Amino acid sequence: MEKKEKIGVYVCHCGTNIAGVVNVGEVSKWAEENLKDQGVVVSRDYKFMCSSLGQELIQKDIKEQGLTRVMVAACSPHLHEKTFRNACKGADMNPYLCELVSIREQDSWVHTDKVAATEKAKAIVSGGVARVAHHEALEPLRVPIHPATLVVGGGIAGIQAALEIADAGFHVYLVEREPSIGGHMAQFDKTFPTLDCSACILTPKMVDAGNHPNITLLTYSEVEKVDGYVGNFVATIRKRARSVVEKDCTGCGICWEKCPKKVVDDVFEVGMGTRKAVYVPFPQAVPKYPVIDRVNCTYYIKGTCKACEKFCPTNAIDFAQEDEIMNVEVGNIILATGYDLFDSRRIQQYGYGRLPNVFTSLEFERLSNAAGPTGGNIVLRDGKTVPKAVGIVHCVGSRDKNYNEYCSAICCMQSLKFAHLVEERTGAEVYNFYIDIRTPAKGYEEFYHRLLEEGTHFVRGKVAEISDATRLPGEDGKLIVQVEDTLTAVQLRVPLDMVILSAGLEPRAGSKEFAKTFGISCSADGWFIERHPKLDPVATMTEGIYIAGCVQGPKDIPASVAQGAAAAARVLGKIQQKEIALEPVRATVHEEQCSGCRICNNLCPFNAILFHEDRMVSEVNPALCQGCGTCVAGCPAGAISGTGFSNEQILSQIEGLLLVNLSKEAAAV
Amino acid sequence: MKEFAYFPGCSLEKMASSYHMSALETTEKLGIKLRELDDWNCCGATTYFYIDELLAYTLCARNLAIAEKTGLDVVAPCSACYKNMYFTAAHLKKDPDLAEHVNFALEEDDLQYNGNVNVKHLIEVFANDIGPDELKSKVTKPLQGVRVAPYYGCQIVRPQKEKENVEQPQFFEGILSAIGATPVNFPLKMRCCGGSLIISSRTAALSMVRNLLQSAVDSQASVIATACPLCQVNLEVYQQQVNQEFGTNFSVPVLYFTQLVGLALGIPQKKLGIGKEFVDSMPSLLQAGKG
Amino acid sequence: MSDTITFSQEISNLLHAVEGEPLKTCIQCGTCSGTCPVAGYMDHTPRLLISMINRGMKEEVLASNTFWYCASCYHCTVRCPQDIDITELMYGLKRYSIWKRQHKEGLIGPTFSESFIKMIVRGGRSYEPILAPSYIFSFGMRDMLLEVQGATELLLKGRLPILPPRIKRLEKFKKMLGRIIPMGGLE
Repeated sequence: MEKKEKIGVYVCHCGTNIAGVVNVGEVSKWAEENLKDQGVVVSRDYKFMCSSLGQELIQKDIKEQGLTRVMVAACSPHLHEKTFRNACKGADMNPYLCELVSIREQDSWVHTDKVAATEKAKAIVSGGVARVAHHEALEPLRVPIHPATLVVGGGIAGIQAALEIADAGFHVYLVEREPSIGGHMAQFDKTFPTLDCSACILTPKMVDAGNHPNITLLTYSEVEKVDGYVGNFVATIRKRARSVVEKDCTGCGICWEKCPKKVVDDVFEVGMGTRKAVYVPFPQAVPKYPVIDRVNCTYYIKGTCKACEKFCPTNAIDFAQEDEIMNVEVGNIILATGYDLFDSRRIQQYGYGRLPNVFTSLEFERLSNAAGPTGGNIVLRDGKTVPKAVGIVHCVGSRDKNYNEYCSAICCMQSLKFAHLVEERTGAEVYNFYIDIRTPAKGYEEFYHRLLEEGTHFVRGKVAEISDATRLPGEDGKLIVQVEDTLTAVQLRVPLDMVILSAGLEPRAGSKEFAKTFGISCSADGWFIERHPKLDPVATMTEGIYIAGCVQGPKDIPASVAQGAAAAARVLGKIQQKEIALEPVRATVHEEQCSGCRICNNLCPFNAILFHEDRMVSEVNPALCQGCGTCVAGCPAGAISGTGFSNEQILSQIEGLLLVNLSKEAAAV
Repeated sequence: MKEFAYFPGCSLEKMASSYHMSALETTEKLGIKLRELDDWNCCGATTYFYIDELLAYTLCARNLAIAEKTGLDVVAPCSACYKNMYFTAAHLKKDPDLAEHVNFALEEDDLQYNGNVNVKHLIEVFANDIGPDELKSKVTKPLQGVRVAPYYGCQIVRPQKEKENVEQPQFFEGILSAIGATPVNFPLKMRCCGGSLIISSRTAALSMVRNLLQSAVDSQASVIATACPLCQVNLEVYQQQVNQEFGTNFSVPVLYFTQLVGLALGIPQKKLGIGKEFVDSMPSLLQAGKG
Repeated sequence: MSDTITFSQEISNLLHAVEGEPLKTCIQCGTCSGTCPVAGYMDHTPRLLISMINRGMKEEVLASNTFWYCASCYHCTVRCPQDIDITELMYGLKRYSIWKRQHKEGLIGPTFSESFIKMIVRGGRSYEPILAPSYIFSFGMRDMLLEVQGATELLLKGRLPILPPRIKRLEKFKKMLGRIIPMGGLE
């Protein structure tokens, strides 16, 4: 037998979490007696191994007993693997020579039979001991961090993140798909609960971002490809051709004034207003440079017109301008691409798209906005009639297994805001149809009380249908909302002039493909997945990629801003360190055994495997590899092994679990 | 010639005999053969499910087993029969326990059901198997100018079977357009006629019928087209009672869609059972140049 | 662990074709009751009835006319945001009510249903005239006369059967039904 390691076994009580089901003392004694041949020289149990006293126990044994390996049986590695590794490091033992096995989540928390649970704990400990003997001393990989950052998405979350990093003195590339930054917040009229004008609080930040020396604004642009790994990404960005030469354009606006081609604006004005073929999406656009919509521009369709070119005082129109592809080097990426509104046409019984005076929330924001298509007048589709009775429907496409099961977080507050605005501007009777009123943050509940005082009629009932099939007196020409007032258990027909649907938030179309570009995943609903739902909402499972704002899930503006700032702080922390230490638990391809079949290339969920055409072998990029083991299992030649999860380690752990190789003194257990 | 096992259902014998006649006439003319199931029994309507599920499934399974022997898919003109048979077939497929119980009973009649029958509503045959284009090509006397309210009712599309449109389907309108008629925008086209409530909760059912008639009149329909005998009876036979109860003045003809299709195909009225209605449909049809 | 089964569990069990605890997932949003075309005639709206079942209010539930007024149009079922089959619940309650022989007074539904079953067992086919006595005497004078008038017209137009139809293999049919033991022990 080879030179045995000296293994220390530590079994944690975790208060009564483990000790309440597993007889930890018995397990510790058993390990000491039966695993001697495996190398166990000391075996202890202790109330809270993760405490400083518990850690000191381990450190003392390492120093005094000359331990070469440490095996802790406690909670899941997700929680304290780092703790125990650091404890070992503190005693000058390589941290990767420590193994933590779970006898809590995988034993005491899932079983009630104490005898069986104790036997299972023994098996788990035995497995851990067998495995840790095969651990090797590993050093974390150190990669340098490029100080520049890429922020994708120019809404409030992205702008916040970009400003914080730029203010700290580091360069940011802010990429935005639309011709201007601002996102959905630029479309809103007022924001809840303060009723601040949305543009008034947003535009100063937009201007800052536009003028900041450390921010390169890339609008009307999209990220096409990302290569590399944390600290060393190369992003390929397509700057779409505006047909306007930015350095010459003064933003004077003569081009769009003179342009004869009017088009329905279905992005910013949500189909309720028009713009020209050459346009800026809204007056406070940043940057101020317009864009020619080549799909609708007469020149590109027929080859005539060119009015903008004729009238431009600085000759800034360039019809021949082409898309520009640029590659930028960055160390970290923040994704803040926001949300799409649920398509209310899908709920056919609500009549959106069929009944003219049914509006969506974004449509109403544009109606209410003084810079909107009706100049801030809340009127019906005919553009002039002021409604006398308005209904606001909560939970449209949310909290509904037929559409989206989740709650969209902002619709209750938004609906209350609408109720206030309608009452203030039109004096109409306002009805809010809700299932629950969700007002969790600061000032929100008080806002609801304000609405109650203002005389809004609240009907607790999810709207069953909206129809124009009138039949009772007083209903002529109205929209009828059919709903049960659940608080009085009566079915109502409520005649209204206008109905506003608080539609839910959905992930952007094409999210799954977009996430793949960055090597991260989406949940089943399509929102990007955070590293930990409670404790790490802005990081992702891919090092160097962060998420902020609604791309992570529906949330209001304060939360989006907070996440943007949080992501920025994480990135700044990484930049300050100048280099990053990556977990050495990685897969490695043994080139001599690699047949070049490339099966592993597509299996990797993190795009971490490259293929060398010249040598016909695959190679794992250790910086991108997350040690998931898929390629190791998938390689038909067995040419890939995992540091930290080698075949020997795993097979010996299995044998340990099966209680093979016990000391000869203890016969059958 | 496409063939189907035809399950008329109890109502089509007498009460809705015009549906039966027009169904056979039109399908024959369009190249579909409907072979009546041998010795079929009542599907149980909704009522059998009020008493015992297993019994109710067995009733339907007997018909499915008889159909399976012919190797043909089943077509039912009545929405209730269709719904019962469709879901019985679906449940028997999903639940082997249920199938075992039911087959145990079916043994007594030397029958077994092995899950090989598809169930369709008669209107599906027109909408899908024949299709509006084929239908249009066979039309010789298009119902020009006749404004028809397409009354789907409830149990044709509900419960939802796959991902089909349950709120605003358009297949009925497609058939009506194909025969040259003008399908009107009938907002209550998916609402229930009351079904068996006409017996057990008369006033409630009459109010539902009243709303439907009102909506049809408001949509300027000159005739309502139905695809279910119970709907036709509720809407038509009880129109008088609705008028009595609510002081209204309805006199809306209600025909089966197969009768309208038959007229467009040039089949004589008598063969389509026109004339058995309570509300004379002739004026509306004549008005459009039909007769 | 209780040995006795609660009322709400009994009713949940009637929805055995569905997974999970369908009634407990009701969020009381009211879509079903807002949609129901007969809600105005019911003692309790469908949503309220589900709440009463969850609360274990057995007597009140069985004394309600709600499920007897359900037209089985399935509109509530297709719209429910929690995917609860409310129509199936109504069917289940009818079956439960007939099984326990407990329901509101003066309802036509229960007696009509029992007559219908007897009619099918007798001949295998439906025969309307035999059903008349089960409900016509609950009508007021005017409605009864209207009904008779209607029936006469139907007869004259050849839309009412005179003789009850029978299926051919009636004996085997009866034996077949006999192999299923009905819950209510009707036969």
